[in-house]
Amino acid sequence: MTFRLTCPVCGKRDVYEFTYGGPERGPRPAEADPGSGLEAAVGSDPAVAAEAHFRWAQFRMNRPEPQEEWWHHGAGCGVWFSTWRDPATNREAPPGGAEAGGHEAGGRDSS
Amino acid sequence: MSRLPPSSTERIDRSRTVGFRWCGRALEGFEGDTVASALWGAGIRTFSRSFEYHRPRGLYDLEGEGSSQLVSIDGVPNQSAGTTPLREGMEVGAQNVRGDPRFDVFGLLDRLDRFMPAGFYYRLFHRPAWAARFFQERMRGLAGLGVLRLDVPDRGARAERYLHADVAVVGGGPAGISAALEAGRLGLRVCLFERRPWLGGHLDWRVRDGRPLAGEVSALAGELERIKSVRVFRHAPVTGIWGENLLTGFQCPGTGSRTDSGTAAAFDETHWECRARAVVVATGSIERPLVFEHNDRPGLMQVDTAIRLARTYGVRPGTAAAFSVGDDLGLEAALDLASLGVDVRVVADARREGHDQALVAALVGAGIDFRRGWAASRVRGRSRMSRVELAARTTTGSGSGATVGSAAGGAGDSLRVACDLLVASAGRQPDIGVLSCAGARFRHGEHTRTFELERLPPDVFAAGGVLRLTDLEALTSSGRIAGLEAAAACGADVAGALARERPRLADLPGPARGSSIVRGPVAERRLAPGRKAFLDFDEDGTWKNAAQSAAYAFDVPELAKRFGNFGLGPGQYRVPGQNLAMAMAEIAGRPVGSFAATTVRPPVIPPSLATLAGPNHDIHKRTPLHDDQALRGAVFRRAGPWLRARYFSADRECLEEIRNVRENVGLLDSSPLGKFRIWGPDALRALQRVYVSDMTRTRPGRCTYSAMCNDTGNIIDDGVVVRTGEDEFYFTTSSNRAGATVEWLRFHTRYDGWDYNLVNLTDAFASINLAGPNARGVLEKITDAELSDEAFPYLGCREIEVGDGVAARCLRLGFVGELSYELHVRASHARYVWDLLWEAGAEYGIRPFGLEAQNCLRAEKGHVIIGTESEQRVTLLDIGMGWLWDREDTASGKVGAAALRYCEGQSGRLKLVGLRVDDPAGDAGGGTARNVAHRPADGALVVDGDRIAGFVCTTRHSETLGWQYGLALVEERLAERGRSLDLYESLGRRTVRSTATVVPPHFHDPKGQRLRIAPEGRPRRSGEAPSQPAPAAHRRSPVRFDAAPARTEHRAGWNVVLDYESDRAPTDVMRQAGLVDLSHRARWDVQNRDIGTVRPFGLDVPARPGEVAVRDGLMINRMNGTQASVWHVGPGAAPAMPDGPHYTDTTDSHCWLALLGDAVPEVLESVTGLDLFEPGRARPFLTQGPVLHVPCQIVTWRADAVLLAFSRGYGQTLVEALLESGRHAGLRPAGERVFTDWIHALEG
Ligand SMILES: [Zn+2]
Repeated sequence: MTFRLTCPVCGKRDVYEFTYGGPERGPRPAEADPGSGLEAAVGSDPAVAAEAHFRWAQFRMNRPEPQEEWWHHGAGCGVWFSTWRDPATNREAPPGGAEAGGHEAGGRDSS
Repeated sequence: MSRLPPSSTERIDRSRTVGFRWCGRALEGFEGDTVASALWGAGIRTFSRSFEYHRPRGLYDLEGEGSSQLVSIDGVPNQSAGTTPLREGMEVGAQNVRGDPRFDVFGLLDRLDRFMPAGFYYRLFHRPAWAARFFQERMRGLAGLGVLRLDVPDRGARAERYLHADVAVVGGGPAGISAALEAGRLGLRVCLFERRPWLGGHLDWRVRDGRPLAGEVSALAGELERIKSVRVFRHAPVTGIWGENLLTGFQCPGTGSRTDSGTAAAFDETHWECRARAVVVATGSIERPLVFEHNDRPGLMQVDTAIRLARTYGVRPGTAAAFSVGDDLGLEAALDLASLGVDVRVVADARREGHDQALVAALVGAGIDFRRGWAASRVRGRSRMSRVELAARTTTGSGSGATVGSAAGGAGDSLRVACDLLVASAGRQPDIGVLSCAGARFRHGEHTRTFELERLPPDVFAAGGVLRLTDLEALTSSGRIAGLEAAAACGADVAGALARERPRLADLPGPARGSSIVRGPVAERRLAPGRKAFLDFDEDGTWKNAAQSAAYAFDVPELAKRFGNFGLGPGQYRVPGQNLAMAMAEIAGRPVGSFAATTVRPPVIPPSLATLAGPNHDIHKRTPLHDDQALRGAVFRRAGPWLRARYFSADRECLEEIRNVRENVGLLDSSPLGKFRIWGPDALRALQRVYVSDMTRTRPGRCTYSAMCNDTGNIIDDGVVVRTGEDEFYFTTSSNRAGATVEWLRFHTRYDGWDYNLVNLTDAFASINLAGPNARGVLEKITDAELSDEAFPYLGCREIEVGDGVAARCLRLGFVGELSYELHVRASHARYVWDLLWEAGAEYGIRPFGLEAQNCLRAEKGHVIIGTESEQRVTLLDIGMGWLWDREDTASGKVGAAALRYCEGQSGRLKLVGLRVDDPAGDAGGGTARNVAHRPADGALVVDGDRIAGFVCTTRHSETLGWQYGLALVEERLAERGRSLDLYESLGRRTVRSTATVVPPHFHDPKGQRLRIAPEGRPRRSGEAPSQPAPAAHRRSPVRFDAAPARTEHRAGWNVVLDYESDRAPTDVMRQAGLVDLSHRARWDVQNRDIGTVRPFGLDVPARPGEVAVRDGLMINRMNGTQASVWHVGPGAAPAMPDGPHYTDTTDSHCWLALLGDAVPEVLESVTGLDLFEPGRARPFLTQGPVLHVPCQIVTWRADAVLLAFSRGYGQTLVEALLESGRHAGLRPAGERVFTDWIHALEG
């Protein structure tokens, strides 16, 4: 297996320069602790909060179709970025012809 | 020697004989011979015995298409005789033979074939259960290829080469050369790979009407060589095409031309990879074997083998020859061999029509018995051929398995010919291996009777013989078209040229009509026909086996291939090739077109495993204290990327090292500890996110211990955090996690848009642990800082100066359970400080200690090591560290907090407990006598009845305690104090049971008094040490070249080598390549969200990542959106680091090298797959990526100057690997002057 990914900083590179950060699934759901008095977005029921959190942390859809996913260019510029890729072909595959790329976050490991 | 008179096509040098040995016999060949041609020329006919039946096998092909021509060379098995150049002194041996290859004792297996039908091994020997192993052992003794000799060391140099091309061309025949020319003329980067040591393909050896055809392409090849952007790789087989046009292959160096062939060691091989934007595949065609009884006898060979023996190597393939062929090339070969004096007695052509009439007329004119619609049906003779039987085919079309009425005598439709050479071929098939790997699809064509290309993958094009073109004009024309199409795929505007060339090809002869024969005529009266008619020579797969496969319903090629082992041997797809589909069609009575071509998988031509393994550099990180520890007897081990000292004596229990720390003072090199600087308005929020504790409570001068969890609440890291400024922190991580820490923080804050900066200082700072009751006494001798318990308490952090004013960040911690100081000093200062401590500790008898002693010391203290006392089922709470968690904080979104909250109330989880191993001898009193009880190994199981209920993490014997203690993870119900646990181990075939008692997991000094107040240590041995001025501080580079310095200079504590003796070598280093260590030159990291507003040293940061600016002796490299590095490249002293939080001095973070000289591109393509010399890109530019798998910042300044910065720890081992990989290009160490001269020339 070999394929390449397009780093928004470095351009196309071999996949072994990157580490996988899983599919895009949105930010971490807020925690709701009954003792804290915080009203979290998921509601105040701790069971609902736990369920929401575990769906977010553990569940993956694993569909053979293009998905947005996170990659870290660890052997290169050190940036986390999201890109669209089709796990069925291992190729970058922008959804609906849109431009792949996504947003960049962070800096390089200086060591 | 049976050599022919010299001819203009030959590639041997008859003036230079080469001596070698065959099975112990001294033989001779010529310079330019392959092993196979030399053997055949010396009269050797049997090369090996076959895989299963031990049949004698000779020289069938010269391309490594099967196992028949595999030999052992200098003790290394399975070397291809047909492609290995002959070398002086080679020891060549026959394979798969007991005794002489001519009289193999296992030859009788050939008679037992009826007991070995297809798949017999799996169908017969699986019941009863013992049978499989019993027969497996015996079978393996008999079958197989070659013998791997472990006493023979691997020979030959292995290298790697990473190439970049716009257009890669596979195959250097007329079509491939034409394609490469078209792309090359447009200025595109072209790489052409030819598996033979010369270009020209089949034209190289063909002679028609007395005229060598090589001249047809030599002019084109000559032009190709002159185009600068074209690179031609000879003797470089392609092993596969992978995703996005990555080509892989190997090359046997030193065999590229007539003049230097054979000079390279036989085992030297280079693995290469080529990333291409477009690929042209022009692999030509290969022969299809003719299948008939005993079609594997020595003396039977391919058309090309016979003609190449004669024309390339001047070897007489035989004296009296019969031909059974299926195309015009066979007829041409018969004529040519006859012209060379071989007695060609009969030429049978399986075709009834479609012959080149000129060739037929010439054959007849030469008095050769020519027979249309005839083919060989049987060979007589064993190790040497005595006779060939030929017969007329009675039917035409696809049914080739026709019968003949009688095979006796020479009557009418059959013929017996006495001969020692049978040139046999059913016809040609396209060499589709590389195309198939690339993902091309094929469909059987009625005209060519081969599997033709149906669909090509993106940016892959095909040309020439692989399309079954045979006309020379058509070959070159299709090559030109493919080259233009490939250029178009790279963006070149070639529409006009394509529009001119395509009609030209359309007017030329198209694909040749193919031959339908697969099997020679079979005599009706013969019993069990096909028993010795081989479809696959590698694994002795016969026609009969194919029929058996079909009978078991494995009746399509893909199934028969696996059931009957067809085409799974070294010959890969080439033998049987499409014969398998044609045979299955005939056996099953179906059209060939109803089958799909079997998929070819890489490597289509096998390289040696050693080549795939590569140079195998041992690249790892070393601490700045590595060399001194080695001198002190350290035994090192790999821990993550680092090499760390494990023991300092032969005592693997390290009792002395441990006792010394408990009672005196020891030194530990803990430099791999992760160290980080984080700052910015949102730095605290980022720490709050990843650490479980309340990080708002961190304060200056104080270490806050905390841990990180993952989303399931598993502890993954721990360390201390120190606040070093308003929005600035310094924190440590465990050594194993250091590499992933930046990634972890960035990942878990990726949606937040927070403004913080992070620098990894792991390699920039060494860490030295001074531990033991006398630690303070030692430290106070090298510093004026106040060390009293009041001024510098436990968990304090102080910035102190040691020795000659060297800055050290000193953390008072107690991982090993004693008074201890952790000194973080610049890596370049580490050796100076280490030496100071040794000097100061001498009077105490200070000793080093290693990882194992530290492991025991911390376990006695009950401190966990993540990954040893924790695993994926275990949360922070389970190992008793829940007190770290700030459970009230739900606002920070702490990673793992939700899981911890969920687990809080759960029962039945694993818990960490202390163990006291029960001693059956009754030494329960806690005495100091050595506990003799069995010590359960780390990993021993805790069992509860017949259930596994946990496991032992660590157990050790403690001299301190006088008993065996340990830490274990057990189910909660077993975790209560005083409970007895059953331990179970399986040691080989033995099982050992023992028992232990649960105790609190803090064995040594549970109240932690020894950490806080230094107990009275051992009195000093001598009187007060005289206070001496500290020696002058010095700094060290991570790199030490194995070269003699000629001129050095002291500069700001560094000892800089200006020249090495080797710099004065006759060849100027700039004509080759020099490696200059610039690690002493200053570097800084600049980070800011609005980096454009930061003007380091008054200079602008380049606008886009990858851009580099050079001004005032400083180079500024834009790394990404928020970060740049500044390197001092100029003459004179480096400026001081500007004030401001954006700057971090990273001089000690990296090893910094300059590669200078004309051969720099050649050196770099041996060590990195990065495209560092992309044409047209404005230089200098920055590339961030791996060199020999180490992440680097690389600045391509010019073609002869590249700068390289990477983690300092890798310095020495990466430099050694670079020098080794670059040796072929003349790379050698060079002094700083070479760099300053280059800069001077640049400015001048
Ligand atoms: Zn990148």
